[in-house]
Amino acid sequence: MDMFANLALGFGEAFAPLNLMYCFIGVFLGTFIGVLPGIGALATISMLLPLTFHVPPTAALVMLAGIYYGAQYGGSTAAILLNLPGTPSAAVACLDGYPMGQKGRAGVALLMTTVASFVGGSLGIIILTAFSPALAGIALSFGPADYFAMMLLGLVAAATLAQGSPVKGIAMVLVGLALGMVGTDVQTGAQRFTFGIPELSDGLSLVALAMGLFGVSEVIASINRMRTGQRSKERITFRSMVPQRNDLRQSAFPMLRGTGIGAIFGALPGAGATIASFLAYAVEKKVSRHPERFGQGAIEGVTAPESANNAAAQTAFIPTLTLGIPGDAVMALMLGAMIIQGIQPGPRLVTEHPELFWGLIASFWIGNVMLVVLNLPLIGIWIKMLAIPYRILYPAILLFICIGVFSVNNNAFDILLVLVFGVIGYAMMLLKFEPAPLVLGFILGPLMEEHLRRAMLLSRGDPMVFLERPISAGFLMVTTALLVWAGMTAVKQQRQARRMAVAAG
Amino acid sequence: MRSTRDYNDIIGGVLMIIGGTWFSLHGLQYSMGTLRRMGPAYFPVCIGITVALFGVLLLLPALRRPGGFPKPEWRPMAAICIAILAFAIGIDRLGLVPATVVLTILAALAERRPPLLPTAILAVALAAIAVLVFTQGLGIPLPAFRWNL
Repeated sequence: MDMFANLALGFGEAFAPLNLMYCFIGVFLGTFIGVLPGIGALATISMLLPLTFHVPPTAALVMLAGIYYGAQYGGSTAAILLNLPGTPSAAVACLDGYPMGQKGRAGVALLMTTVASFVGGSLGIIILTAFSPALAGIALSFGPADYFAMMLLGLVAAATLAQGSPVKGIAMVLVGLALGMVGTDVQTGAQRFTFGIPELSDGLSLVALAMGLFGVSEVIASINRMRTGQRSKERITFRSMVPQRNDLRQSAFPMLRGTGIGAIFGALPGAGATIASFLAYAVEKKVSRHPERFGQGAIEGVTAPESANNAAAQTAFIPTLTLGIPGDAVMALMLGAMIIQGIQPGPRLVTEHPELFWGLIASFWIGNVMLVVLNLPLIGIWIKMLAIPYRILYPAILLFICIGVFSVNNNAFDILLVLVFGVIGYAMMLLKFEPAPLVLGFILGPLMEEHLRRAMLLSRGDPMVFLERPISAGFLMVTTALLVWAGMTAVKQQRQARRMAVAAG
Repeated sequence: MRSTRDYNDIIGGVLMIIGGTWFSLHGLQYSMGTLRRMGPAYFPVCIGITVALFGVLLLLPALRRPGGFPKPEWRPMAAICIAILAFAIGIDRLGLVPATVVLTILAALAERRPPLLPTAILAVALAAIAVLVFTQGLGIPLPAFRWNL
C-alpha cells in the first residue's frame, strides 16, 4: 500500500544520524523543561527557534516537535512528586497523582503515566498518519477565498475556544494581525510601519516576539513565585514502579477513552492538550462506578488525562501540516519555523516535501520510544533536576534568550525587540490577556492578507465570492456561529459578574 | 482586592482604542487601492479599525462590572529589563563574557536579597558555558572580548 511506502521513506529520513540526534535533543530537552515548573514548551521552542537557522529543515522541525510532545511526558513528574504541574496540561495529574504519591505509590504513578503517555502518543500518531494525506488531498481544491475563510475560522476558533474571555482572545488575534503587517508589503514593495528602521523592513522577528511574550514575561512573573529547589522525599526504585494487575486492568479503557478525547480536541483549533486532559478526567469521573475514589489516588484519574494530552500533542499536527492552520501557539511557532526555512506550509507540503512530512511523522514514533527509555530508567535524574533552584535557572534562561535572538541576524536590535515584547507580554499577563492568540494572528496575518487580495483580484472586486463558493461559505457560517456563541457567553458572564457584585453589596 | 470596576479590561480596552486608531491613521498614508486591487493600506486600515472596535467592546462592559486591578512586581520587571538592555549594549562593544557577567548580576537584583557569592560563581560559570557552547560549539561569530566603544 502507498502508506507503507511513505512510512518507509519517512523512517529512512528519520533514521539519518543527524535527524536521530536532533530528535533525541528535542525529546531530552522536552522532558527536562516538562519536569521543571516555571519554564514551558512555548518558551523553550521560542528559545530554540534561532538554532533552526543553522540546521536543515527536517532536523529543525523534528527537534522542535520533540520538545513539544516530550514536555507532555515530563509534565506529570513534578505533579506527582511535588503537587506542582510542570506543564499546564499536567495540572490534572496533581488531582490523583499526588495522592498516589502520598500513599507511597509514586513509583507506580510515574510508570503508569509513561505507559499512558506512550499509548496516547502512539495512537495519536496512527490517527495522524491515517488522516493527514486525505485531508491534504481535500484541501488541494481550495481557492484563495476558501483559504481566507478557513484562516478566519481558525483564528476565531482559537480565540473563542481557549481559556479566558472570548472578546479578549479575539482582541489579541487582531493585535497579532496588526503586528504582522509591519515590514515590506510583498505585493507592492511598500514599507509599512517601519519608521525608517532598516531592521524592520523584513517584518518584526518572530523569534524576538515569541521569546519576549513567552520567555521574558514568564521569567519576570516567576521570580517571586517559583519555589523549586525542593527535594522529593520519595526514593523511586524499580521495585516501587511495578504496577499491580489491578492498576493495568483499571487503566486500559480509561487510556483508550482518554486517547479518543485527546485526538479529537488536539486536532481542533484552540482546544489543545490542556482542555483535552481536563475533559478526559471529567469523563472518567462520570463513567466510573466509584466516583468517590477520584481525588484519593485513583489510577484512572492519572492515566486517562495523560493519554489524552499526549494524543492531543500528536493530532495537533494534523491541521498544521495539512492545512497550514496552527491550532495553538506551539503549532504557530512550528509553522513559523517552516516559513523561516522557506517551506510554504499547506496541503502541498505532503506532495512537495514528502521527505519532510513523513520524516517528521516517523520521528514521532522514534521520539516516543526514546521518551519511554528516558522516562523509565532515568527517572531518578529528572527527580534530581527538581532540586535546581529557580535562582540559578532564570539568569541562564535570560542569557540563552539574548544570545539566541542575537545570533539570528547578528544584530543587537533584535535583543531590544525582545525587551519591548517582554514588557508587553508581562503587561498582558497582568491584564489577563492571553499571548497565544496574538502569535497565531501574527503568523497568519500576512498569509490572510495575501489570500484576501488574491481572492478579490480573481473575483474582480466582488466580495460575494466568499458566499458563493460552498467551502468558503461553510467556513464563514461556522465562524459566525462561533462569534454569536462567544457574544452570548460574554453577555452571560457580564450579568453574572454584576449579580455577584450586587449580592456582595 | 476587588474593585467596583474591572480595571484590567478598562486599561486594555483604552490601550486598544488608542493603538487601533493610531494604526489606522498611520496606515492611511499608504495607498488604499480598490477592493479589486488592494493597496498596501487596505488590510492594515481595516485591522486597525477592528482593533479599536474591540477596544470599545472590551471597555464598555468593564465599566459596569467589578473586577481586578493589575499589581505589577516592579522590582523583577525593572531588574530583568535593565539586564537585557545592558546585554544588548554590551555585546557589540565589550564582547560576550562581560555582557554575560553584567546580565547575570543585574538579573540577580530581581530578588530581594541577591546572594553575593553564588551570583558571582553563576556569572563566571554562565560566561564559560556561553563561550564554549555558542562561540566554540555552534560557531556563532561572537568574540568573548572586544573593545569597540
